[in-house]
Amino acid sequence: MNLHPLAILLQTGLLLALAPFVSGVIKNWKAKLQNRRGPPIWQPYLDLIKFLGKDVVISEHASWVFSIAPYVVFLTALSAGLMVPILTVQAPLSLFGGALALIGLLALGRFFLALGGLDPASAFGGMGSSREMTISAIAEPALMLAIFTVAITAGTTDLSRVAAALHEANWQLLNPAHLMAFAALFIVLLAETGRVPIDNPATHLELTMIHEAMLLEYSGRLLAFMEWGASIKQLVLMSILVNLFLPGTLAADGTVAAFGLAFLIFVLKLLGLSAAVVVVETVNAKLRLFRVPDLLSAAFVLAALGLLSTFLFQ
Amino acid sequence: MPPGFPLMSAIFINVGLILFLVGTVSSLVLQRRGNLAVAFAFGCSGLAALCGLTAFITFLVAGFSRPIPAYELFPSLVPNVHFSVRIDALGAFFGMIVSLLGVALSVYSFGYAKAFVGRKNVGILGAFFNTLLLATTLVFLADNAFFFLIAWEIMALSAYCLVSFEHEHDETRSAGVLYFIMSHIGTGCLILGFLLLFQASQSYGFETFHALGDRMPPAKRDAAFLLFLFGFGVKAGIVPLHTWLPAAHPVAPSNVSALMSGVIIKTGIYGLTRVSFDFLGAPPNWWGVTVLTIGTISAVLGVLYALMEHDLKRLLAYHSIENIGIILMGLGAALMFLHTHHPVLAALALSAGLYHTINHAVFKALLFLGAGAVLHATHTRNMEEMGGLAKRMPKTALFFLIGAVAISALPPLNGFVSEWLTYQSLLQGFGTTPSLIRLMFPLSGAMLALTGALAAACFVKAFGITFLAQARSQHARDAHEAPFSMLLGQGILTAVCLLLGLFPVQFLTLLDPVTKQLTGEVLSSKLTAGSAWVLSGTAPQGGTVSTLGITLIALCLSSIPVALWWLFARRSRKRIDATWACGQPILQPQMEYTATGFSKPIRMIFKALFRPHREVQREYDYSPYFTTTIRFSAHVEEVFETRIYRPFRRWVWWISRRMRALQAGSIQAYLIYIFLTLLLLLFFAL
Amino acid sequence: MNTPITASPELGSQLITLCAAVMLVLQFLLVVQRMLLTNIRLFALQSLMLSAIATIVAAFYHASHVYVVAGLTLVGKVFFLPWLLNRLVRRINITQEIEPLLNAPTSMLACGGLTLLGYIVARPFTTLQKLGNNTLAIAITLLLTGFFLMINRRKAISQVLALLTVENGVMLAAVALTTYGMPLVVELGIFFDVMVAVMVLGILVYRIRESFASMDTSKLTQLRG
Repeated sequence: MNLHPLAILLQTGLLLALAPFVSGVIKNWKAKLQNRRGPPIWQPYLDLIKFLGKDVVISEHASWVFSIAPYVVFLTALSAGLMVPILTVQAPLSLFGGALALIGLLALGRFFLALGGLDPASAFGGMGSSREMTISAIAEPALMLAIFTVAITAGTTDLSRVAAALHEANWQLLNPAHLMAFAALFIVLLAETGRVPIDNPATHLELTMIHEAMLLEYSGRLLAFMEWGASIKQLVLMSILVNLFLPGTLAADGTVAAFGLAFLIFVLKLLGLSAAVVVVETVNAKLRLFRVPDLLSAAFVLAALGLLSTFLFQ
Repeated sequence: MPPGFPLMSAIFINVGLILFLVGTVSSLVLQRRGNLAVAFAFGCSGLAALCGLTAFITFLVAGFSRPIPAYELFPSLVPNVHFSVRIDALGAFFGMIVSLLGVALSVYSFGYAKAFVGRKNVGILGAFFNTLLLATTLVFLADNAFFFLIAWEIMALSAYCLVSFEHEHDETRSAGVLYFIMSHIGTGCLILGFLLLFQASQSYGFETFHALGDRMPPAKRDAAFLLFLFGFGVKAGIVPLHTWLPAAHPVAPSNVSALMSGVIIKTGIYGLTRVSFDFLGAPPNWWGVTVLTIGTISAVLGVLYALMEHDLKRLLAYHSIENIGIILMGLGAALMFLHTHHPVLAALALSAGLYHTINHAVFKALLFLGAGAVLHATHTRNMEEMGGLAKRMPKTALFFLIGAVAISALPPLNGFVSEWLTYQSLLQGFGTTPSLIRLMFPLSGAMLALTGALAAACFVKAFGITFLAQARSQHARDAHEAPFSMLLGQGILTAVCLLLGLFPVQFLTLLDPVTKQLTGEVLSSKLTAGSAWVLSGTAPQGGTVSTLGITLIALCLSSIPVALWWLFARRSRKRIDATWACGQPILQPQMEYTATGFSKPIRMIFKALFRPHREVQREYDYSPYFTTTIRFSAHVEEVFETRIYRPFRRWVWWISRRMRALQAGSIQAYLIYIFLTLLLLLFFAL
Repeated sequence: MNTPITASPELGSQLITLCAAVMLVLQFLLVVQRMLLTNIRLFALQSLMLSAIATIVAAFYHASHVYVVAGLTLVGKVFFLPWLLNRLVRRINITQEIEPLLNAPTSMLACGGLTLLGYIVARPFTTLQKLGNNTLAIAITLLLTGFFLMINRRKAISQVLALLTVENGVMLAAVALTTYGMPLVVELGIFFDVMVAVMVLGILVYRIRESFASMDTSKLTQLRG
């Protein structure tokens, strides 16, 4: 296990390029499912370029924390993404951290996101920060138990080794422990990326916002990095789901053609998961804030059942 | 190992102890000259702590896993009582913690105590500060039960005097008395425990107590364990024995709060480790299970109650309970691994617990010092009256932010590293036993994740409401930056936080002698994955982490935003403007989010635990639609206070009232009692 | 009927394990779901899993009478009983369960504890070398959680559904564990027993609704003398 600078560069580029694509696909398909045309799939890219060029307006009450928060969110999401196996089983940064470091980095990003919401002294930002920290706190046990279940069957928290273990044993597809961990992680994915039924990413009513409320005062390049960081985080969590539970990632060595094939398979898996997310978002209504813990404790119990299943079915 | 080494170490320690005494005496003598007292008291304590730090660090670096033999500090006049000290690995580790904090806090106190000059007697503050540090160091160095208990008592008494320093407030007086009573209940249990050990070994020396548990009958051994758990648990602040902590820590002067949260509660951890690993070896499984359960419950309840507080120092006090819980989780897991004969895993869990001990000491002290600076500037502890301090106290805000990131266990700081080690030991623990007890490991891991996330939420609240946004009161608007010595003290601790976070592998070599002494395993070679910068978790093919690596990669990746700025955003401008206030002309501070509001979702989700209660009273002149005054009060029920302590107090009063009948006041009755006792003893002797 | 297993036992064991796990998850969903129509559909899905398990066992042991059991379960518990209950619910026009005794997270934690209990009880029996021997724990869990469901809910229809899931658990144990399935006579007996019970209960529920204008079984306490 050492570091390949080329692999780091390649994976960074892939994360930066694919993240807005996934957001665009989800928005477009959700619209199509609701009988609308929807924004084109390339819209998030155009939005990012537009935001980067615009002026930045900062609140008179905000301090330096407001200005560095977008960069922290962006860099933590990107660093976390380098620890996930995307095209190859060996993630470029797997030596520097595995599942636990990834969760920690995303938590660091969320910490600064919440502080950035409180800084401009607006009530909406405070409300968003409060709700975001509460929901992520309730989602953490489910996330940790699901990661534990997967790590126990693979014997390690290193995501590359987990993916490699999956690559070898084809039975894992049918293993109930893995299926339940997958279901629990899917619910946690919805919570962390702020999707219906936990949060509505397309709402314009401030009282129903959670993630969007913390972004209300951001503009220009700060907003660009905030949005990009959020979509990279979404891509990272979706990559964990598709690459740790479904096969198709390459071994370490391979030709350019093999890389191309792996890329295609990865994009197809992502599109499949996006379709599932779109269907769940369209079929369900947003839950009341105090009903969200019920859903997340269901995820916790699912993850616990998955853990039990590792030795229930000996 | 140079032959003169033990002598050198002993000299340093003796010099340190003498300096503490000099500090005490000089501070008392110079009571009238405030500034001089401050200089002498904290100068002596700082120098003494520096001596101690040197001695202990060199001891640990040299890798001494066998203790330096005991020597008498000074001859005693009482037979059977020897004031002898010895330095062994565990004592040296904790001694290092107290010395480190002593240095930083002495530097801080120069500026902090100046604020008390003229108002209160700073000589007393300085004297008892020195005594407290002296007694704590002696607790870690004591060689026999007598000396240990004497040092323990002096520590408790000095802490009581310091807690009651601002005794003109009712709150302070009652907190001091509560602390005093709880501390002595714990000490009582300790005395009983030591008596049980004496009964088995016929001596009081700690050397003879080593591995005593094998020679004791199981019932006595278990009873001793429970007594020590109770006694040291009171001092450490485990749930349900924690009620004194949130009362006493906030009312003490801030440097004392930092010392208490940083070191004094760790003496409980020291005692528990000494007793369960060193004295009573070969633990049965239920010891580890009990400690792990108590740790998990303390961690979760501590952080939940911390979220409900809007007094900054009380919030930090509850977080101490949470972190003690996390330390106990590591220790409990280590005990369970010792029972199932996995010494390497036991060493890993023990290292995780001890690493978290020093981490918590450093970042909790840092946070208390920051809270002290805020208190110094705004004269209030209530977060609802603060705000906007990041612009007025920028350096304090930065130090507090780093402390907050560290305590929330976020990479790349030290809290994350020790929690990572704890998770690794819990994960590998799942495979150690086929029984159902192994389910405790992942469930504790899930609860640890919950406390980590709730702690992050709590510190977003603490930092955000205190330092960010607009000032909510005139006090906050008039705040000014802390004096240089206070900043320097905080800076020292911040630097240590960063070092402990970025270089864990190097630090773990300091823990080697400790784990070697207590579990027989040396870990540091197993914890590096081929490179000195990457920490691994001893499992073959297990996970690895490198906080330094992550930081460097993040720094390299920051070239991307820079490049994008140059490409797209060079020509854009930055404008300062007002926050959107929904159409109101000016944004008022009353429109901001409050601390109570921030934690409302948690309060509602866990309302079965909190039982929140709120009351709104309105007054109006001639129509209820035109209210003149609104009074709002909300509070959260303190479950342990109302369900356990209050009924217990009532029961004690009830029994006492019954017993009062015995004191009839007549001489006849008393003579009859004496006569009856005499008859009874005669019968007994027959 | 005593022909040995020919196809790969691994795949069969995997499939049976999977179906049993889905049955368990559906049971948990039943515990928290409050819409009665959805509950009936979940029960139908659970019975479908049960008949799938029966089919797999029959295929691997070449025991044709177990095919009959699978078919009966399919016809009776996947189509007929849900249809009957659906019709009843629509006639009575009550579609939602009222607030249960314990709220959703607490009942799920309780069911988690019962799963653990089921595992502990089943452990001495899992050394049998048999296809599907790992499902005894699930069967006992279904029994226990079905009982819990009966206590937790107040509407009579939900209690009928709970009884049916208890019966599912018993069937699971019978089909997957006993030697080549139980004798056909016994299985048919249990099956028709349940059918008749449900039809009687259906009529009874209708009567309760007529008398008290509500399906809340706690109102039956009014019948005290």
